[in-house]
Amino acid sequence: MHILLVEPDRISARNYTSALSAAGHTVVTAHTAQDAVHVADEHIPDVVLVELQLPYHNGVEFLYEFRSYTEWLHIPIIILSFVPPSELSEASVLTRELGVVQILHKPVTSLAELCAAVDKATTVRT
Amino acid sequence: MQRGSDQTQLSSQEQMFLSLVEQLSRPMLQINQLAELASDATAEEAEQHWQVVRAITNASLQLVENYALSLRLHGKLTKLELEPLTVSSLLYDTAHALTPFAKQYGVSLELDLSSRLQPVLADRSVLQSAMTSLGQVFILASAESDKAGTVNLAAHRSRYGVVAGMYGKHQQLSTDSLRRAHAMQGKARQPLQRLVSGPAAGVFVAESLLQTLSAHLHVARFHKLTGLAATLPASSQLQLV
Repeated sequence: MHILLVEPDRISARNYTSALSAAGHTVVTAHTAQDAVHVADEHIPDVVLVELQLPYHNGVEFLYEFRSYTEWLHIPIIILSFVPPSELSEASVLTRELGVVQILHKPVTSLAELCAAVDKATTVRT
Repeated sequence: MQRGSDQTQLSSQEQMFLSLVEQLSRPMLQINQLAELASDATAEEAEQHWQVVRAITNASLQLVENYALSLRLHGKLTKLELEPLTVSSLLYDTAHALTPFAKQYGVSLELDLSSRLQPVLADRSVLQSAMTSLGQVFILASAESDKAGTVNLAAHRSRYGVVAGMYGKHQQLSTDSLRRAHAMQGKARQPLQRLVSGPAAGVFVAESLLQTLSAHLHVARFHKLTGLAATLPASSQLQLV
């Protein structure tokens, strides 16, 4: 699977890429929301992993922009964020309107759990 | 992103502590990830992982120590040891301390030092701790841009004294950004979103340390770069040739 990883921290991005690549996936990384849109345009992903705490732009804003492109409406999105799910007051909007299939809290999500979530997401249709 | 309203009643110290805790969760997560990757790593990969662990652990320890120093100073548990010092040599030492951390993020450090800067009267360890904390934030900020770039450690003269700080291509950083960051600290997860995605705890630790020197951080411009700096009055005690 082709994965778009939207992760501002380069060290974590490398670690996630290593784990996902070892699981057989191709990973392209973007560090900002703006870069993510450009990257998705060049390499249409099968799954998007996104941190909500991005520089310059809010990750939720990125999700709305991503979903504004009709050709990307079917792509499942997994939130992988430092923001705990309990603080996401708009969690139901994220799942219902933006096609977020899972919300993962980074500090408590192992690399193995992330790979499992990606495998599960690829069977989800939005 | 703003937190839930029940977390807006924190004292300023609690806000600082929360920023620090959230900042430290990042390297701890990275170390956890590297430990998980270690099981399948080759010997060469394992050595690279250890270098990363060393760099991020040392940077985290520096931040913790700098925060502890600020608490000890504000609580009068430690006294300042003021001396005339050259900011140039201090920034040189700061760059040396930041290099391993910058290397892991693919960020270059550049020194831009005006010649014949007057000495300033300051506590060397406090000022260097402040600059190191600030430097860590700018390294993270630089690495988050599409192409990891350069952090400039710069010192130059102004009519008020010597301006020393960290600079980069952060065009969106403004006086208003810093003012809002103070208001948002502890209330928002990204108080300086126009600079860096995380809690930017190093900025607030730097500011707390600079306050003990009767200085404060301000947005500064240097050539075509924007950054955060402190203006330190020149020392009249000793003029070094």
